Amino acid sequence: MKTVIRNTTVADKLLFLTLIAASVAGIFFSREAMPQGPDIVITVDGKPQYTLPRDKDRLVSIPGPFGDTVVEIKDGKVRVKEAHCPNRLCEKQGWISRGAIVCLPNHIVITVGGKAGDLPRGIDAVTG
Amino acid sequence: MQLQDKYRIAVLSAYALSLHAFESLLPTPIPWLRLGLANIITLVALVLYGFRTAMTVTLIRVILGSIFMGTFLGPSFMLSFSGGVASTAAMGLAYLTFGNIFGPVGLSLIGALFHNIAQLTLAYFLFIQRVEAVLFIAPVIVLIGTLTGVANGAVSGLLIKKLLQKDGEKIQNDKAD
Repeated sequence: MKTVIRNTTVADKLLFLTLIAASVAGIFFSREAMPQGPDIVITVDGKPQYTLPRDKDRLVSIPGPFGDTVVEIKDGKVRVKEAHCPNRLCEKQGWISRGAIVCLPNHIVITVGGKAGDLPRGIDAVTG
Repeated sequence: MQLQDKYRIAVLSAYALSLHAFESLLPTPIPWLRLGLANIITLVALVLYGFRTAMTVTLIRVILGSIFMGTFLGPSFMLSFSGGVASTAAMGLAYLTFGNIFGPVGLSLIGALFHNIAQLTLAYFLFIQRVEAVLFIAPVIVLIGTLTGVANGAVSGLLIKKLLQKDGEKIQNDKAD
């Protein structure tokens, strides 16, 4: 341990502190800056597939390369109820009311507070 | 390329490949988190034998590793390839430009950062295509990368020191570039 500390230069330490500070600040600000709009937008393969009002409870199931992903909207919050990707990070993220849930394996991005204007509205969702 | 260089690249690639395979077997608490253990070998190769050796070892590791894992030319191969090449290039550039201002830990941090930047950029173009989603996840990934980068850099530093102590003269004589 001592050798390790002696081996680091001043520039190393500065770089380390800068990176830590920047990423922690980034985590904090990105959560604050996320818009809290009226809609929940689900994007599949980069294309917005569903725009759903957040005040209406419902279940949506989205087919993907790892099977169906079930998204649940309840009390203005959204979560991934069921996913079959290898890691299930999206499931572990739980309920969110702002920000986004990203499932890379299934190419799904769920954003709370999308702009309603840039998406076609009223697509029928397949309810689970 | 001399016979000695080929031998050295083969040995380093073998180490890098086994670390690459080993870490893909490890269960991680957070998905998409990789420790980047193979980066230890890249860094040792860079400092002891120069940029060309490091880049060759990285390319061999990424391509052969993906063939062994069965992900060759798939999305995770592209992420791995872009990350590996970007991080080796960044570390090489930093080492050649700044010399000894950055130690192994600093170089490893630079490598980890550019690895993350390359992967996030590629993930944006290939899969996500939503700027806010990428910006949302980027700080988390950079934070994790910084922590694993420090650990890898520390191990590389110890390894480089031991190797120089053991046969430093030979390495200095062999250093091609």
